[in-house]
Amino acid sequence: MNILTIPLRNTRKKWVKTLLLLVVFSLGVTSIVSLNYVSSVVGESLEKKLTAFGANILVMPKSEKLTVSYGGFSMGDMLLGVTDLSESEVMNKVTSIELKDRIAVVAPKLVAMAQVDGATVGVVGVRWEKEKTLKGYWALNGEYPTTPDGVVVGSKAAARLNLKQGDSLELGGAPVTVSGILFPTGSDDDSVIFAGMDFAQATFGTPDRVNFVEVAALCAGCPIEDIVHQLQEALPDTEIQALQSIVKQRMYSVNFVKQLILTVSIIILFIACCMVGVTMLSSVNERIKEIGLMRSLGFSRKGIFGIFCFEAMIIGIGAGAIGYLGGFALSLEVLKILDMAEDTTLSFNGGDMALTCLFIVGVSVLSAFFPAWKASSIEPSEALISL
Amino acid sequence: MLEAKNILKTFHSEGVVTHALTGVDLTVNPGEFVSIVGRSGSGKTTFLNVLSTLLAPDSGEILYGGEDVTSFSAARLNQLRQKDFSVVFQFHYLLPYLSARENVLLPYMRGLAPVSKDAKLRADACLERVGLAGKGSKIPGHLSGGEQQRVAIARALVKESTVLFADEPTGNLDRETGESVMELLADLKNDGLSIVMVTHDDEYAARADRVIRMADGAVV
Repeated sequence: MNILTIPLRNTRKKWVKTLLLLVVFSLGVTSIVSLNYVSSVVGESLEKKLTAFGANILVMPKSEKLTVSYGGFSMGDMLLGVTDLSESEVMNKVTSIELKDRIAVVAPKLVAMAQVDGATVGVVGVRWEKEKTLKGYWALNGEYPTTPDGVVVGSKAAARLNLKQGDSLELGGAPVTVSGILFPTGSDDDSVIFAGMDFAQATFGTPDRVNFVEVAALCAGCPIEDIVHQLQEALPDTEIQALQSIVKQRMYSVNFVKQLILTVSIIILFIACCMVGVTMLSSVNERIKEIGLMRSLGFSRKGIFGIFCFEAMIIGIGAGAIGYLGGFALSLEVLKILDMAEDTTLSFNGGDMALTCLFIVGVSVLSAFFPAWKASSIEPSEALISL
Repeated sequence: MLEAKNILKTFHSEGVVTHALTGVDLTVNPGEFVSIVGRSGSGKTTFLNVLSTLLAPDSGEILYGGEDVTSFSAARLNQLRQKDFSVVFQFHYLLPYLSARENVLLPYMRGLAPVSKDAKLRADACLERVGLAGKGSKIPGHLSGGEQQRVAIARALVKESTVLFADEPTGNLDRETGESVMELLADLKNDGLSIVMVTHDDEYAARADRVIRMADGAVV
């Protein structure tokens, strides 16, 4: 029996009021927890889908640029020390960094020049499966190659070389067949011919060599700078470049969902806090006699303040625990309805629950600060005379 | 010894100024039973509230143990209310969610430290003294008005204070119950407790060692 007996007994005696407040506050916490879990899974899924719209990191060989001029005549920029990358080494190292889980696609490229009917055209060697994932926006007249000698021709290159699906031609002396023509993309892809990587490496005499590697990283869980830093450590002889505009564009979509959820969560939390505050305030007004009596018995202002804060703490603990469990269960159900349950690795986490409880207790006690302060400011005579 | 010197108290409400106490003096000797009588609005309850430190006077001194309690800090006033002064009100003001025994022990439930065994034994003794032995586990709602007032007196007694202030302690009780409360106060006085009681009942007032009559905020 001590000062905490008073709020404990009061909450038990007024159990209907306590229960109603607990239910309302728990519903608020349930909504916030489930919204956050769902938004986190939806954000992740959204970002994964966005990787189909291109890479956000480039891995290139280190090079030095030299501007050459003689006698006032500029001979342009020369790249020195350019060496190709080893495809197997880059692939192994990229997929072995600490943040490898955040790497969605690694697409190597080998660029070469070839003559087709007397015209020079760029040939890009790609791994078809990776490229299809990375360039989900590609649309083909025809189909992706199923044989090593199949190629896909960009729309401008096809028009220039007068190629159509099914045509045969020679690239670097090796016969190939056009399996599809790309619809215009508005990018460099329109002007080149895409060939399988193995064919390109064999034809242009550079086995296991690539010119650069495009990487699509998921940035929702960590900043792109961290991924770039780890790639740079794994591949010290290369230049790693983050395509910030693409990252920002992509994160804008993901962050928009998160900010929307955050705003809704804040509103729910604010309403729940107002409920706690108003209920505690009415409780103070109801119990003004008790407060006056306790002050006349020598209870300090701090003691009275603590009694009301402890009552709010009891509500907070209950609402935090019930709300977290409810929110967790609800988010699983919502993800099932959204057909995203399989995409998620959502699992019960005791630490998260404890943190949620702690946060809700803090918020609940904070909401009770004004009523508790009001209670502690009551003078004994004021409370007793008011009767 | 408790001594009030030239106590002044004025209330201001909605532009109306009420001079509740206009220079009241009183001395209460150790073990003395003083009753204060007067009509409604005479200032007797205000004076009791000022004497018991529940209300601060505008001016004047209240000397207790040679010190002026009107200059005490909040912490020292709390100490005084915890140990030396006890108040019994016209209404019992029992906490409805605590048992009779817990209500008696309320003065000891001020902190996180658990109530001592000694205090619990004293609470049982106080309940026995006010005739409520065996009713300690009952909540106030299950006690009669007289019993509730006796629990309030037991709550005042448990601290073993030196001065008991009683504001119309029989005001809400029937004659028979009021009589038992008065007998209890007389017993306490005989035990050496100083008592200051406000009442409008002349018969009960006459049982005190001294009767102070008040009118218009002054002793007459």
